[in-house]
Amino acid sequence: MRGKVAVIGVGMIRFGELFDKSLETMIQEAYLNCLKNVDKRIDPKEIKAAWFGQWSGGFIGQGAQSGHSLTSMIGKREIPCTRLENACPTGGDTFRHACLGVASGLYDVVLALGAEKMRDKPAAESLGGAGGGGGAETGNHPAWMIGQGGPAIQAMHATRQMYELGYTMEDFARVAVKNHHNGTFCPYAHFQFEITIERVLNSPVICWPLHLFDCCPQTDGAAAAIVCRADLAKKYSSKPVYVMASNVGNDHNQLWDRNSFIEQQSTVKAARGAFQMAGIKPSDVDFAELHDCFTNTELMNIEDVGFVRKGEAARRLKDGEFDMHSRLPINPSGGLKAHGHPIAATGLGQIFEVVTQLREEADKRQVKLKNGIGLQHNVGGPAFGVAVVNILSRSP
Amino acid sequence: MAGIIGYGVYIPLYRIEQKEAAIPWGSWAGGEKAVCGADEDIVTMAAEATDNAMKHAGVNSAQIGAIYIGTASSPYIEQHVAPILAETLGLRPETTMIDYSGSLNAVANALLGCLDAIAAKRITCGLVIGAENRATALGTEGDANFGAGAMAMVIGTTGTIADFEGLHTYSTFFLDRWRSAKDSWVSNLNDYRFDREYGYQKHVAEACKGLLEKLDRKAQDYTYTVFAQPDDRIASLPSKDLGIQKEGLAPGIASILGDLGSCSAFVSLAGILDKAKPNETILLASYGSGASNAMSLTVRNQIDKKRRLIVPLEKYINRKQYITYTSYLRVKEHVKRGPY
Amino acid sequence: MTQPAPASPMFWRFNPEVFRLIGIKCGDCSHISYPRTKICHECGSQNLEEYKLPKKGTVHTFCVNWAPPPNFEPPIMPIIVDLEGGGRYQGLMTEFGAPEDVKIGAKVEMVLRKLTTDRGLNIYGYKFRLVEE
Repeated sequence: MRGKVAVIGVGMIRFGELFDKSLETMIQEAYLNCLKNVDKRIDPKEIKAAWFGQWSGGFIGQGAQSGHSLTSMIGKREIPCTRLENACPTGGDTFRHACLGVASGLYDVVLALGAEKMRDKPAAESLGGAGGGGGAETGNHPAWMIGQGGPAIQAMHATRQMYELGYTMEDFARVAVKNHHNGTFCPYAHFQFEITIERVLNSPVICWPLHLFDCCPQTDGAAAAIVCRADLAKKYSSKPVYVMASNVGNDHNQLWDRNSFIEQQSTVKAARGAFQMAGIKPSDVDFAELHDCFTNTELMNIEDVGFVRKGEAARRLKDGEFDMHSRLPINPSGGLKAHGHPIAATGLGQIFEVVTQLREEADKRQVKLKNGIGLQHNVGGPAFGVAVVNILSRSP
Repeated sequence: MAGIIGYGVYIPLYRIEQKEAAIPWGSWAGGEKAVCGADEDIVTMAAEATDNAMKHAGVNSAQIGAIYIGTASSPYIEQHVAPILAETLGLRPETTMIDYSGSLNAVANALLGCLDAIAAKRITCGLVIGAENRATALGTEGDANFGAGAMAMVIGTTGTIADFEGLHTYSTFFLDRWRSAKDSWVSNLNDYRFDREYGYQKHVAEACKGLLEKLDRKAQDYTYTVFAQPDDRIASLPSKDLGIQKEGLAPGIASILGDLGSCSAFVSLAGILDKAKPNETILLASYGSGASNAMSLTVRNQIDKKRRLIVPLEKYINRKQYITYTSYLRVKEHVKRGPY
Repeated sequence: MTQPAPASPMFWRFNPEVFRLIGIKCGDCSHISYPRTKICHECGSQNLEEYKLPKKGTVHTFCVNWAPPPNFEPPIMPIIVDLEGGGRYQGLMTEFGAPEDVKIGAKVEMVLRKLTTDRGLNIYGYKFRLVEE
C-alpha cells in the first residue's frame, strides 16, 4: 500500500441530530463538499469506482442495502460501487477498500463515502438496533444475548479495567472532558460544549460503571474521501495526503470466546499489522483519531494500538499527555464522544480530521506535527472483534 | 409396589405477607406466601426441584423411562412442558413424556400414572413432578392466598427411601373452584362450607377409608398424615373423620408458602420425609375438583443413608426476601406498562 | 407473519446448547466454547469433541444494564462467568438483591429461568444465581 495511494479530497457535513436531512441529502452534501475540497479541481467523471459504507441497511431508519444507491444519488450510475458493512469500523474499512481499489492498479481515482441516518428513530431505539435487542434477530439465543449491546459490552470491559488496572470512573469521565473540550474547536462536531467530571458522574447510569456521558451519542452524518494513485495526486491537489498503511484486525465474534477484557485483540492486530505495513513505530505517530464509542474504550485503544503500556493510559491522560497541544493528541476532533458516531460515516469523518490536520488546515484545533503522521482507528462488532487502522502521512 | 428413590423441592425466593394483597381490597388474609420472580414459572421451578431429586436419588438420565408432570398452571393448553424438562435432563426420545392437568389432583394423578407404568412393567424408573403458580385475579381471595412451589420424585423399585403399599382413588362430579379455558384466573366464588365439607372433607376421607380397608389398617396407626393444604385448618376435617390425632398431621404450610394447589400435599410430603425415620408410615391424600388419591408409604433404611444429599424444604422456607405489593402487582402481571 | 421465535428452526437447533449445555472442547488448544462448531474458533483445528459445560463457576466480569431492550424491566445484569474446569459462559444474573452483591470472583450457579415470551410461547434458558455459602 505504501507509496501507492493518496487522498486528494475529503468532505463531510456537521455531524448531529439532522432531522431535516435525509440520508440522500447528507450523502449529496458530503460528496459535493469532498469534490470542492480537491483544490486543483477534479471532474467528477474521473472517479471510476466507489465504495459505499452504510451500516444499518435500513434497520433503524433510512439506510441503503446496496452500492447502487450511492451511485444513483450522486449521478454516477456509470461506475461500479459496492456497499460495505463491517460493524463500527465500516467507515475506516470503506476507506481501506477504496485504497485497495487504487493500489490494485485497476482504478486511478475512486470515492469512499460513508453515511448513517440514526435519528429517524428515538435514540434509545437505535441503541437497541446496535445489538441491544437480545432476541432472535441477533442470530444467537436470548439466553446469551439479552442486554448485550455496545454499552453493556464496553461496561463489562470497564469493570475489568477497574478490577485489574485500578482504573476509576473518574478516569473514564476524564476522557469525555478532554474530548468535549476538543469538540468546541471543531465546527463539524455533534456536541460543541464543555463538560466536567462531575457532570459525567452525575449523569444517569446507562450500564454500570458507564454513565450517559461516558457514551457517544446517536448521530446522523456523512463523510467522504477521494483517493487516487500517489503519482497522480499532485495533479489534483496541492496538499495530497499519502496512505502509509490500511489494515483490519479480526478477533472472536463471541464475547465468551475472548481471552481478556482489558484489551481488544482486534485493535492490537489491526495496529500491529498497520505499523508493519507502514514500516514505522507507534512513537512515530504525531496524533490519532481513536474509536472512543465509550470513554473507557479510548483508554483501552491508546494501549491496544501500542502508544503506551497496558495500564498506563489513565495516568497519562490525567497528566495531560493526550491533550490537543501535547505530546500525543488523541481525538483532536472531539472523538466519537463529542464529534459523534454516525456509524458508517465515523471512520471517514476521522479520515477527514487526519487529512485536515496533516494539511495544517485545522485552524483552532491544529495539533503540532513532528513527523507528519496521523493514525485513524475504529473498533466494533458483536464482541468488538473487528478493528481498522489507517495510517496517513503528509509526505509520500 | 414401587417407591420413592429420591425427591426434591423448590420454593421461590420472594415472599409477601398475604394481607398486603387483601387489605387494599377491604379483605383480610393471614400468614405469608411464596411468589415467583418475574423470570420464573412452573417449568423453571420444576427444573430445580427435579435437579434436587435426581441428585438425591443418584440415578442418571439414561435410567429414566418416563417423565410425568402435574400442574394446574401450565402456560399452555396445547403444548406440553414435560419435554422441556426432558431436554434439560437429556432424556431419550423413547421416554414417555406426559403433562397431567385439569385439576388440583394433577400431581397425584401423575404419580398414579407412573406407578401404573411401573406395575405394568413398561418402565422401571420414572420422574413425577408437580409445580404450581396459579394465575389469579387482582384483589381476589386467590390472589392473596395462592403460593408457588414445586416438588419432584424419582419413582422406582431399587434403592427406595420409602415404598408405596397401596393406592385408592375416590372421584365424583363435584364443582368447587374452577378456571375456564377463557379465563386467565382461578374463580373465587365458592360456598366455603359446602366446598370444604362436601368437596375436600368427603373425598379425602372416602379415599383414605377405601385405602385403609384395602390394607386392613387404621388411620391412627400412621406416624404421619399428609393431606393437601389449601389452608392450614382444612386437613383437620377429614382427619377427625378418620380418627387421626392432631400430632400426626403434617405442619401447616399454607400460612408460610400459600396454597400450593396440586403440589401442596407433595411439598408437605417432602418436609415430612426430610425428618422421617425408617419404618415410620405416611398416609398421603391429595384433593382437587372432586377427586382424591390416597396413598400409603412406609419409610425404608435407605432414607438415613442418603439424607445428606437432600436439600431440605426448610432451607427453601428460610431462604426468603420480601417484596412490595407494587412489585407483586408487576410480577403477577396484574399491571402492565402502558403500550405507548 | 413469522412464527414466534421459539417455534423457529434456529431455536430448535440451539436446544442442546441451551438446555443440555452441550458445547465443544478443542483437542488441540483446549479451548471450550458453544454453540457446537466444526472448526475451533480459537485455533482453527477440526479436532473437536462435544463437551458438557458445568453449571457452576465464578464471576469474571459484569455490568448493570439500566437501559435494557423493551419488555425487560431494568436493571438487568449481563455477566461473563469463568466455568469450573475451563471455558466461559455469558448470561444474565437472577435474584440479585442489589447489583453491589455481585463481585468479580463471586461463586455463581446456573438456574433455569424464563427469559422472555414471544406471542404466548416462553423462551427458557439458564441464568446465574449467587451460590449461598
